[in-house]
Amino acid sequence: MRTLGKFGAFGGVYVPESLMPALAELEEAFLNSVDDRTFQQKLNDLLTNYAGRPTPLYHASNLSDQWGAEIFLKREDLLHGGAHKTNNAIGQALLAKSMGKTRVIAETGAGQHGVATAMAGALLGLTTEVYMGEVDMERQKPNVFRMRLLGATVHPVTAGGKTLKDAINDALRDWISNLANTHYLLGTAAGPHPFPTLVKYFQSVIGQEAKDSFQQNHHKLPDYVLACIGGGSNAIGIFSAFIDEPSVKLIGVEPAGKGLETHEHGAVLAKGSIGVLHGMKSMVLQDEDGQIHETYSVAAGLDYPSVGPEHAFLKESGRASYESATDQEALQAFHELCRLEGIIPALESAHALAFAKKLAAGSGAGKSILINLSGRGDKDLQQVMAQ
Amino acid sequence: MTNRYETRFSQLKASGEKAFIPFTLLGWPNRRNSLQIIQAMIESGAAALELGLAFSDPIADGPTIQKAAFETLASGFKVSDALELIREVRKIDEQIPIGLLVYYNMVLAKGPEQFFAGVAEAGVDGVLIADLPVESADELQDAARKAGVEMIFIVSPLTDEHRLAQILQHAGAFLYLVSRLGITGVQERYDSHLKAIVASVHKTSHLPVCVGFGVSTPEQAHSMLELGADGVITGSRIIEIVSETGSEFNLQNLKDYLNSMVNSVQLTAVD
Repeated sequence: MRTLGKFGAFGGVYVPESLMPALAELEEAFLNSVDDRTFQQKLNDLLTNYAGRPTPLYHASNLSDQWGAEIFLKREDLLHGGAHKTNNAIGQALLAKSMGKTRVIAETGAGQHGVATAMAGALLGLTTEVYMGEVDMERQKPNVFRMRLLGATVHPVTAGGKTLKDAINDALRDWISNLANTHYLLGTAAGPHPFPTLVKYFQSVIGQEAKDSFQQNHHKLPDYVLACIGGGSNAIGIFSAFIDEPSVKLIGVEPAGKGLETHEHGAVLAKGSIGVLHGMKSMVLQDEDGQIHETYSVAAGLDYPSVGPEHAFLKESGRASYESATDQEALQAFHELCRLEGIIPALESAHALAFAKKLAAGSGAGKSILINLSGRGDKDLQQVMAQ
Repeated sequence: MTNRYETRFSQLKASGEKAFIPFTLLGWPNRRNSLQIIQAMIESGAAALELGLAFSDPIADGPTIQKAAFETLASGFKVSDALELIREVRKIDEQIPIGLLVYYNMVLAKGPEQFFAGVAEAGVDGVLIADLPVESADELQDAARKAGVEMIFIVSPLTDEHRLAQILQHAGAFLYLVSRLGITGVQERYDSHLKAIVASVHKTSHLPVCVGFGVSTPEQAHSMLELGADGVITGSRIIEIVSETGSEFNLQNLKDYLNSMVNSVQLTAVD
C-alpha cells in the first residue's frame, strides 16, 4: 500500500494478511478515481441527477426562536434514500465497477447504508448483499423491506449483540472469503485504510456545499458545526470543509443512551480507551482484557463501540470536541423538530439537534449553529410511536 | 538462545518427520476439559500446540471458532485464566513449542511489554496476531524480542514476493501458510499454487512452512505435506469434534481423530 492512512496515532491497517491485497487494490483504485475525469463526471452526474444534490441549507427560524440561537440545517435528509449514506454508496459502487467487481456487500445498523448500497447496486447492476444485526432488523423494519424491494439480500446477523459491530464482523468475513469478485462497501469513515479516507472524500460534498451556501447567503462562517457520531461519516463529511477554519467550533455528538453513568451507551470518545477493532486503531469501549463491549442507543446507526480514527485524532488534537445526548434528549429534540419545523429527523440526527438545544441555552446563545441533519426519520416511526 | 520451535523443527528434520500442530481455544468448553483436550493433543504426538485466546470480535475465524470464543467469554474465562492454563500445560510437557493465537486488541489492552512478558512467563514460545499485518509489526517487535517470544506470521496464496520478503524479515518459529482464501473452518478447496509458495519460501528462508485453514482430514493433511509443507495445522475440526459429543464430554472421538491425523502426517514423512 502507498500509505497506512494514519491520523496521528490512529487509523492504520490492522487486518488479516488475506485482506491486504484487496485493500491495496482499493487504495489504488481510489487514488486513480480522484484524478480520473470520466469517473468524476459520472459521480457528479449521479449525485446531481439521481441523488438530488445539492441539498438545501435551511435556516430553521421557528427552532431558532424557540432555542435562542440561529439554527441552520444541512438537509441530507432530503437526499435520495433519505440520508447522507447515498453519497458514499454511489462513490464506492463506482469504484467497485472500476475494479471490475460484480458484487458488493455492506453492513448496516439503522439500515440507511444498506438501503443506499441496495440503491447503488440496483442502479449499477451489482449483486448486493447486506449484513444486518437481528436486533437492528427488528427496530428498523421499513429499511429491511426497502433493501429487499431494491433487490438486495439481507443476511440477519445473530452473533454477539446482533447490532452494527457484529454486522461488520460478518461483512469482513464474507469479504475475506470472496475477494476476487466482491467489494466491501463500508458505510462509515472507519475500518482499515483506505476506508476512513475514501469515505470522508465521498462525504466531503456535504461540508463543501454547506460552507458555500452559508457564505453566499450570510457572508460569514457559522460559529458552530454539529453532527451526530456513530462511526462518524456524516460528521467528518460536514467537518471537512471547516477543519481549516479556526473560528468555527466543531462538535460531534455521541449517543449517551440511558446515561453515561450506566453501561448502556455508545459514547466511545467520552468513555473509551485506545484499541484496535475492525482493522483500525481508534478509541474503543472495552474491558481490561481488550474484549469489546456491547453498546446501546435508541438510534441503531449510533450503536457502535468504536469511532472513525480521524475523530479520535481531532479530539486528541483539540480541533473538535465531542459531547453526548441521551435517548430522552434525542427523542425530545426529535419531537421539537417535527412540531416546530415540520421535519421528521432520523433518531441519529436528533442527537445533534439535542446538543444544539443545550448549546443554544448556554455558551452558544445568539450564535449561528449549523447542524448536519444527516437523515430523515421515516425508518424510526415504529420505534418512536412505541415510546 | 535456541527456542523450542527451533529445537523441535530441527529434530523433526533430522528424523525426516513432519509436524502436526493442533489448535484449540483456551478455556473451552471449560477449564478442566480444555486441559484434557490439550493433554490428548500432546499424547497423540503433536509436534507443537496452537492455543487461542477467546476474543469478542474474531474476524479471521469462521462460525465454529467464533461460537466457541463466545461461549468461553460468556463463562467468565479471562486472559489471566488462560495464562494459568498454559502454565499447567507447561508442567505436562516441558519441551513442546506453544504458539498463542490472539487478536491485536488483546495485546494493546495489556500493553505490548506486559502482554509479551506475561505470556513468556506462562510458557508461550510464539505469538500469532491474526489482525496484525507485517506493515505494523514494528509496533510489537521490541516487546516480543525482549520477552524472547517469536512472532508468527501468516502468508496467504495472494501474498506477493515483495510482501513475502518483508514478512520473512519479521517472522519467527514457522510460517503459517493459509491453504485457501477465507476464514478458518472446514472446507474442501485448495489453491493450486500453494506448492509454488512453499517452494519459494524454502528457497529464500530457513523457516519451516506449516499449512492451516481447512486442513481437517488425514487426506487433506497428506496432500498439503505432499506439496512440500513442513507441517499442518488443524483447528476448527477439533472444536467441531468436541462439540459433536454433546453435553457429555467424551475424549475418545477426539483421540481417535488426533491419532488419524498424526498417522497421516507420519505416513507422509516416510514416503
